[in-house]
Amino acid sequence: MVALARKTLIYEWRRFLPAMLAVGFAGLLQLLQLALVLGIFGSTSLYITGSSADVWVGYPGTQSVGSGRTIDADVESRVLMDPAVLRVEPYIWVDGDWRGKTETGGISVFVSGIDPSPEGLMFSKALPPSLRARLAEPDAVVVDRSVLTQLGVDIGQTATINGHQVRVVGISSGLRALGGVNVLCSLDTARGLDDVPADNGPTYLVAKLRDPRQADAVAKRLRGSTAFGPYTTWSARDFARRSVRYWLFDTGAGAGVLFLAGIVFLVGAVITSQTLIAAVNGSVREYATLNALGVGVAALRRVVLEQAFWVGALGLLGAGVLGIVLMVLARSQDVPVVLTLPAVLVCIILVMGLAAVSGLAAMRSLHRADPATLLR
Amino acid sequence: MLAASATEPLRVPALVAENVSKAFVSGQQRTQVLDGLSLSLDAAELTLISGPSGCEKSTLLAILSGLQKVDGGRVMALGSELGQLDVRALERFRLQHTGFVFQGFNLFPALSAFEQVELPLNHMGLSRNEARARAQSSLEEVGLAHRMRLRPSELSGGEKQRVAIARALAKKPELLFADEPTSALDAANGQMIIDILHRIARTHGTTVLCVSHDPRLVVHADRVLAMEDGRILSDWRTQAPVFDSKESSS
Repeated sequence: MVALARKTLIYEWRRFLPAMLAVGFAGLLQLLQLALVLGIFGSTSLYITGSSADVWVGYPGTQSVGSGRTIDADVESRVLMDPAVLRVEPYIWVDGDWRGKTETGGISVFVSGIDPSPEGLMFSKALPPSLRARLAEPDAVVVDRSVLTQLGVDIGQTATINGHQVRVVGISSGLRALGGVNVLCSLDTARGLDDVPADNGPTYLVAKLRDPRQADAVAKRLRGSTAFGPYTTWSARDFARRSVRYWLFDTGAGAGVLFLAGIVFLVGAVITSQTLIAAVNGSVREYATLNALGVGVAALRRVVLEQAFWVGALGLLGAGVLGIVLMVLARSQDVPVVLTLPAVLVCIILVMGLAAVSGLAAMRSLHRADPATLLR
Repeated sequence: MLAASATEPLRVPALVAENVSKAFVSGQQRTQVLDGLSLSLDAAELTLISGPSGCEKSTLLAILSGLQKVDGGRVMALGSELGQLDVRALERFRLQHTGFVFQGFNLFPALSAFEQVELPLNHMGLSRNEARARAQSSLEEVGLAHRMRLRPSELSGGEKQRVAIARALAKKPELLFADEPTSALDAANGQMIIDILHRIARTHGTTVLCVSHDPRLVVHADRVLAMEDGRILSDWRTQAPVFDSKESSS
């Protein structure tokens, strides 16, 4: 079989280049946008995904980790009574106002008061053990590398949160937050920073189970008791989803992202289909001759679709290479980008879908390949 | 079907047009271009339809080759009435029985001469080897054995038209249609093309119908139909006919 589609693509690559570029850049934009969304909004569940707790206990109706209220500290004993529970520890969230060494204006910080012991659950995956141990010192805090300039401090220097003095004892990475700055400290330090007199319990209790697979069942079992005041429970996975969903959909950010994705798809499809249509029109007399010789329209359509497929595949390849380079660059600059296999698959499907839509549009212009028009 | 007499070899016309009419409508304007035209063509002959441009000879070619439908009358090709066939069946008929050569060579810029010829054969259900053998022999027959790896951009006009002829010839068609095949070529190349078409008719027994306004081709045809304003004015043979002709002229 003579590979007409491929040979034409190679020989007339200049003609197809705009389509490949359009597909490639559309793919790249989708990929990076998705990576940024996953990175930025994924950071809203960092408190959950970066910790090894299986079940979270918090105030009923809490929509994201950052919007919790205090619960009764005695709930801890209720949770510990469950035989499936291995360990429970409190987690205190304090909204603070940061003042650094240099004048920076008001900076809103999210103070996370955690158990600094080596077996502590909170941020066990995000915080190296040596840094964690240093938090045991009074008034010690750890901040993310990317926010040092913003906070106007460096390691070893002091600052104030809500008017209380703290000292930066360590710098971590991967602790970026959305809409503020994460500051990690011990539970004791956090209690000292909290100015609201009504807050006398932890914001959350986090529990580790003997068998993490039972998280949903245990969370359900622990719910519903009112003996210790209002509280509810989630499995870690549910609570992480809840947080991401809140940011994606309830803040309108997700709608913006989807809108942009739609625009990118549309622009890519318009350019790609126009290029493919021009390519079909450029060969319309040859296609008509083949049809005169009895080669069916269906076979000619397959040629156009195959060209669209190769345009998509080559565009994807270019987007992939550029995407990897840009991702590495972004990571090195502490830009929060995260790519998962499903996200990559979504991008591949979007790009190939774009190529397919364009191919179908181009196929329609084959109706001009009427051999009777050659006899004039 | 016409019966052959005892003294003559069996002679059935390959292509018959009976009382064919065709009109084009453009807005309110209706132009009758063919009106009750009849003719019949024999196999193994090169028939030339000649006439000035605008005499609707290309329309006649399109109708006889099944690329356009008639408004009235009928066209019988190899025993099939083309008007009865739907689009798919017409494509199949053309795939199996007809070859075309156009004024523009209509070769794919990306393909070598060999691939241009092989491509339609791929769709005929031939084996790969059979398709390649046919492409090879067709290109040899038009004298391009040494040029068949070249792309159109590396071939002269005459060579391109010979590739186009080889592409049609490799299908081993019973009917071969050529529309102004020499008008884009100089005299020497034009003569070579018409000689090749003539030889194909003689050696393969193909019914070759050529449409041209080029008066130089007249001496190379077996039969010449002069056409003007949608009517056939004269019908003559340039050489002594081998058989008695039974075709009718309008």
